[in-house]
Amino acid sequence: MVSAQKTRRKKNGLIAQLAKNRTVYIFLIISLVWYIIFCYGPMYGLLLAFKDFNARKGILGSEFVGLKHYIELFGNQDFYQAFRNTLIISLERILFEFPFPIIIALLLNELRAGRYKKTLQTVFTFPYFLSWVVVGSIVLNMLGSDGVVNNLIALAGGDKQQFLASKSFFLPLIYISSIWKTAGWTSIIYLASINGVSPELYEAAMIDGANRFQRMTHVTLPCIRSTIVILLLLAIGNTMNAGFDQIFNMYNPTVQSISDILDTYIYRITFQTSGDFGFSTAVGLFKSVINFGLLYMFDRIAKMMGEEGLF
Amino acid sequence: MLEYKKKKLDKAQIVIGIVMGIWALLILFPFYNAILASISTQREFSRNPLMLFPQEVTFSAYSYLMKATSLMTGYRNTLFFLALGVPFSMLITVSTAYVLSRPSFPGKKIYVFLVLFTMYFSGGMVPIYLLMKEMKLTNSLVGIVLLYGGNTFYAILIRNFFQSIPHEIEESAKIDGASEMLTFFRIILPLSVPILMTVILFLAVDRWNEWFNVMLMVRDSNKWTLQVILRNIVYTTLDDMASRVVSVQKTYYSLSLKMAAIVLTMAPVMIFYPFTQRFFIKGIMIGSVKG
Repeated sequence: MVSAQKTRRKKNGLIAQLAKNRTVYIFLIISLVWYIIFCYGPMYGLLLAFKDFNARKGILGSEFVGLKHYIELFGNQDFYQAFRNTLIISLERILFEFPFPIIIALLLNELRAGRYKKTLQTVFTFPYFLSWVVVGSIVLNMLGSDGVVNNLIALAGGDKQQFLASKSFFLPLIYISSIWKTAGWTSIIYLASINGVSPELYEAAMIDGANRFQRMTHVTLPCIRSTIVILLLLAIGNTMNAGFDQIFNMYNPTVQSISDILDTYIYRITFQTSGDFGFSTAVGLFKSVINFGLLYMFDRIAKMMGEEGLF
Repeated sequence: MLEYKKKKLDKAQIVIGIVMGIWALLILFPFYNAILASISTQREFSRNPLMLFPQEVTFSAYSYLMKATSLMTGYRNTLFFLALGVPFSMLITVSTAYVLSRPSFPGKKIYVFLVLFTMYFSGGMVPIYLLMKEMKLTNSLVGIVLLYGGNTFYAILIRNFFQSIPHEIEESAKIDGASEMLTFFRIILPLSVPILMTVILFLAVDRWNEWFNVMLMVRDSNKWTLQVILRNIVYTTLDDMASRVVSVQKTYYSLSLKMAAIVLTMAPVMIFYPFTQRFFIKGIMIGSVKG
């Protein structure tokens, strides 16, 4: 009798498990339905990269063309230009933008806690919560031909400049406005990490006669090293994106040759000019695959360093 | 306390304080400039380029925006988008967080893989657009609400919080005869209010700032959100400038009008941010400590 019960329980094991966890499954279904439709649905749409899209036949019915789009892609000058710009802009962002939040955090940390420091933090972090449409508009208007900057130049007797239509000004302005918008917010992450540094380390350093700057470089910086590395890896993992929202809202045809990135390129060939969905999906897949590789690498390295990884 | 903090302000601190103060002014100036430009006349603006103190003040740009443009429709659409979008996103995101936080159950491994994989790989712009089109979800804000449902990053943030709740609390509820569902709604959710508030605020800002998918998918300008309408007001003349085509048909918006549109678009964020800042900062602290 006992053994018969045992086998019955075993047979019903799965059903019993399902029943026992029914609450979990209710939430699981709510969540999974959304993920399947809106995340995996588009992934199935990636099939188009190997098809000639025909609106009447739909994604499934369209004809397979194999690697045709890729052969076309790798012979396309505009694609190479966008790919190259994406890499260059991402690299320069890391070089120029990445150090700023660290510097701001180190400096803020030296200030005494109080109303002044709180106000500074509020001001520094605020622009992060505005869209690039708003920030882009502000920048465009400030630098426009009637904007403050040009008015000042005119007042000083100089010639008005078309800053954002200039190939030498455009990219630096992209980096500066990005620092302006996001550096303060990112510095909060570093500040959180600095707060975790043991006060004893500072005391020991002071007993050894370290001055303020030496404490900064010999105590604070080494202690937040892992945060710096994680954010750096994350930035590298983001290489293929290069800041679409910002560039899309600030670029114009005059500077296209230096500012066109993969996403703006995909947008333009899909929705403004040719509308060859198969071809633009092929570009998108190319981007997604490299992106995946970079993020996977990031995760591996982060875990190797003993961090949790972001995911 | 540490000795160096007890001391009076030293020279280095004063210098750092001043440098940081200048950076703060550089951040504030464009906003100040935008607000002043929005309330001054064209004449005033060319006479007084730095616009530190305006002499002639006019609110005509604002009254024109309210009457003659669709900015108010944009406000209404954005509020609709927020009112529908934030609860829907919370439903999906909290559900995901709850499932991720549960100890093992049959199928958990596959589920976790499916959810996390979306952080590494996505279909991208064009397949998403085609999918939305095939599902007849374009040209509607409800469609965009559905598209923005879950957010895996916030789900992980909430999961971490759920997992930090002591197990004993749940156990004792179970002993008292509460079902898992009841435990979730009566115990886990109320205990998680801080992180839920943070995520709600982040989602609200994200929705307030949404422009790309609305611009891409919603053709009917009566359904446009605030950001898309702002884009339209600011960029119409700009596109003309860039392509050096002077188009007569397109409406010309004066600088003060554009600035007023910018001010109206960012005003709610500007007003609410100082009061809600601590929630945002708490959220990023939780995220970075775990991350």
